[in-house]
Amino acid sequence: MTGRLIIRSLYTNFTQHFALNNNTVCKNRILVSVFNVNFSTKPKSGFVEKKHCNVGTIGHVDHGKTTLTAAITKVLANDGLAQYVSYDEIDKAPEEKARGITINAAHVGYSSKLRTYAHTDCPGHADYIRNMISGASQMDAAVLVVAANDGPMPQTREHLLLAKQVGIQHILVFINKADLVDDELKELVEIEMRELLTDFGYDGNTVPIICGSALKALNGDESEYGAPSIRKLLDTMDSYIPPIVRDLTSPFLMPIDNAFTVPGRGTVVVGTIKRGIMKKNDDADLLGFGYNIKTTLSDIQIFKKSVSEALAGDNVGVLLRGMKIKSVETGMLLSAAKSLQMSNHYKAKIYFLTRSEGGRKKPIFSKYSQQMYSGTWNIACRIDLDPSQHMMMPGDHGEVYLTLLEDMVMTSGQPFTIRENNVTVATGIVTDTLKSIDVPKGKLGKVVMNYEV
Amino acid sequence: MKLRAKAYTKMIFQLVRRLHTSPVCRAAESSLLAKLRKKTGYTIANCKKALEMHNNDSDKAEAWLNEQAQAMGWAKATKLAGRTALQGLVAVKFDKGHGALVELNCETDFVAKNDKFHKMMEDATLAAFKFAHTHLQAKGPITKMELDSEQLGNLQAEGGKKLSETLALFIGTVGENAVLRRAECWKANQNEVKITAYTHPAPATPGDYSAGKYGALLAYKQPNDLQDFGRQLCQHIVGCAPVKIGDKEKDKPAKNSDDETCLIFQEYLLDPSYTVEEVMEQNKLEIIDYVRFSCGEAVESNMPGVEKQPLDTVQTLQ
Repeated sequence: MTGRLIIRSLYTNFTQHFALNNNTVCKNRILVSVFNVNFSTKPKSGFVEKKHCNVGTIGHVDHGKTTLTAAITKVLANDGLAQYVSYDEIDKAPEEKARGITINAAHVGYSSKLRTYAHTDCPGHADYIRNMISGASQMDAAVLVVAANDGPMPQTREHLLLAKQVGIQHILVFINKADLVDDELKELVEIEMRELLTDFGYDGNTVPIICGSALKALNGDESEYGAPSIRKLLDTMDSYIPPIVRDLTSPFLMPIDNAFTVPGRGTVVVGTIKRGIMKKNDDADLLGFGYNIKTTLSDIQIFKKSVSEALAGDNVGVLLRGMKIKSVETGMLLSAAKSLQMSNHYKAKIYFLTRSEGGRKKPIFSKYSQQMYSGTWNIACRIDLDPSQHMMMPGDHGEVYLTLLEDMVMTSGQPFTIRENNVTVATGIVTDTLKSIDVPKGKLGKVVMNYEV
Repeated sequence: MKLRAKAYTKMIFQLVRRLHTSPVCRAAESSLLAKLRKKTGYTIANCKKALEMHNNDSDKAEAWLNEQAQAMGWAKATKLAGRTALQGLVAVKFDKGHGALVELNCETDFVAKNDKFHKMMEDATLAAFKFAHTHLQAKGPITKMELDSEQLGNLQAEGGKKLSETLALFIGTVGENAVLRRAECWKANQNEVKITAYTHPAPATPGDYSAGKYGALLAYKQPNDLQDFGRQLCQHIVGCAPVKIGDKEKDKPAKNSDDETCLIFQEYLLDPSYTVEEVMEQNKLEIIDYVRFSCGEAVESNMPGVEKQPLDTVQTLQ
C-alpha cells in the first residue's frame, strides 16, 4: 500500500513536469486532477464545489413539459450554450437502464450563464421514484409546468406530492401558453398555484412564477412571451436554486477504503472525507460492524505531506493513536467523536426489480433476509414490509424496515442494493435511522419487529 | 430573506398596480371566477366563458357548465381517444356468490392516484357487480361473463348514467385519455361454490371492495367447518401469476419450480414447503376457476372456458 502511494505521488510529480502527452496519462487524468487539487487545498469556507444543478420538469401531459424542454435548448443553442434537442427526440427518449432498472426518462444537458444543468423529464410517478432510488439523477429543483388556459388540474396535487416524496426543496412554476389568455386569468392561475404550493408545505408566496409560451419560444418568437420568457426562467433558476456547497460545517465523516501499518508509527486508515473538516489531534470514533472504538487523529497526511487539517473531498491518510490493524475493517467509518450513532435498524425506500430486469419472479414478504451491499461493505440484512402491506411484487416500490446483523453507520440518502444468489433483486436508499433492535443469537429470523419506533 | 423581501415588494407592487389600472369591478369578477372554479373544478377558460355568457351570474354559469360538461367531455374523449393508456387500476368487488373484476386505464400514474380516478373506478366496479347480480343465465357451477371496453361502457352506473358518459366527464376533468379496459362478472349458481377476490396492494382492512395494480377473482368449494383458505389462495394467484389451474394427469410439473405455470404444482406462496395441490388436499379445497388481471398487460386471448356473449342476449331484471 505504501508502495502504491509512493508511486502515485511520484506519478503526480512526474505529470506536473511533463506535458500530458501519452495515453496512460489521459486515462488517469481524473485521478491526477484530484491529486492536484489536493495539493492546493486550502481551507476556504463556503467553497462552491461545482456549478452544476439537476432539475426536472413535472406537470400534466398536455401542458407543454416537453415543448418547454425543447424551447430551453433552442433558446440556449442560439446563445451557444446548449445543443438544440427537438421535441421528438425528447418525447421518444429510449428507456434507459440505470443499475439494471428500466426508467423512462429523457436527460437533456444545457448550461446557463452561471451553471450547467442536467434536465430530467419522466412520464410517470413510478419513473421519478425509480430515478431517485437508483440514483440516476437526484433532482435539486423542479419546474412545474401549468397551462394558463387550463389552470391546475386535479392531478397537479399528485405532481406536488411526488415532488415532496423525492425530496425536491425548490420549485419554480412556469405558466405556459400565457399568450392564449388575458392577464386576469394568468393572475388567477398564479393565485391558485401559490395556494396549492402552500398546501404542500412549499413557501407559496415566494415561489417564482414565470409566464411564457414554450411554443412561441420554440418558433423563435422574440416577443414578451417568446424567447425572453425562457431566458427569464433560466435567470430565475440561476438565482433561485442555491448552489451546492461542500458541507464543511457538519462533524467530519470518512468512510474507510483501506488501512495499513506503518512500522514504528501505528495504523493508518485511508479514505475520502465526505463532509466536515478534520483537524490534527481531534478525537474520533471508528465505527462499524458492531464496534465503536475511540481514538485520536495523531497525524493527517495528504500524499506524504503532513497537514494540520483536511477538508471534505480530500483523499487523506490518517494515523490513528493506539489502533491495532486487526480492529480496522474496510467499510468502517471514521467520524468526529460522539457525532454519529450506530444502529442496525433503518427505514428505507426500496425498489424491487422486475423479472425482465433480472429480479425475482415471486413476491416478497416480511422477514426476507439476504445480503445487503452498500459502499465498500456488505452484511446480512432482513427486510420487513410496512405492516399495512401483505407483500410486494417485483416492480413495486415502497417503504421497508431494514435490520442488519451488526450495528453499522448509514446516513440518510445512502444507497444500497440487495443481492440474492449473486443477482441484484432490489435497490434502495436509507431514509431514516431507527433505534437499534436486538438480534437474538445472531439470527435475523428471530428478530421481533417493533413498528412503532 | 432577500428573496422574501423581493416577493413582498413584488406583491405590493402588483396590488398597487391593480388599484391604479383596473376598476374595482374587475377584481370582483376575478374573485367570482376564482370561486366558480374552486366550486366546479372546470378549466379556467371554460369558467370564464360561462361567466361572460351569463353576465356574471355564477349560479347560471355553473348550471351551464354542468350542462356543457358532458358535451365537452365527449369532445375531449374523442380528441384523446387514440392515445395509449396503460397505467391505472384493477378493482374487485365481491360477496359470497358474486364477483366483479374491472380494469380502468389512464395515461399517467399521477392520474391513477387521484381521488376522481378512484371514484370512477368504484363506480365502474359497482356497475359491473350489479350486472353480476342481475345477470340471470345459469349454466354449470358458475356463470362467467367477460365484458370488453364497449360492453362495459354500456353498463349503467349509480344514478342511471351510462359508464361511458361518466368516463367522458372524467376525461373532460383531467384532460387525459382513460379507457374502461375490461371486466369480468361472476355469479355462483350453487350454494357450496364461494367467490372471493384479492388485489395488490391490499387494503389494510380486508373489505368487499379494493383496488390495486393486480387483481384476481377465485371460485372455489370448501367445507364450511375448516379455516377459509379462499383469500390466501387468491393472494397466491395474484403473486405467482399461474397461467392455468393444471390437471394432475395431463400436466407435468416444470423442472425449475420458479418457472411453474400450473397453479396446482406451484409452491404455495404463504408456505413454500407445500405445493398448492397439497394445501388443497389438506383443506378439502376445490378450485373451480380463477381469473387474474395485471394492470396494463395486453389483453390476452380469452381465458379457457369463458364464452363471449353479446350484451343484449343477456336477460337483466331491469
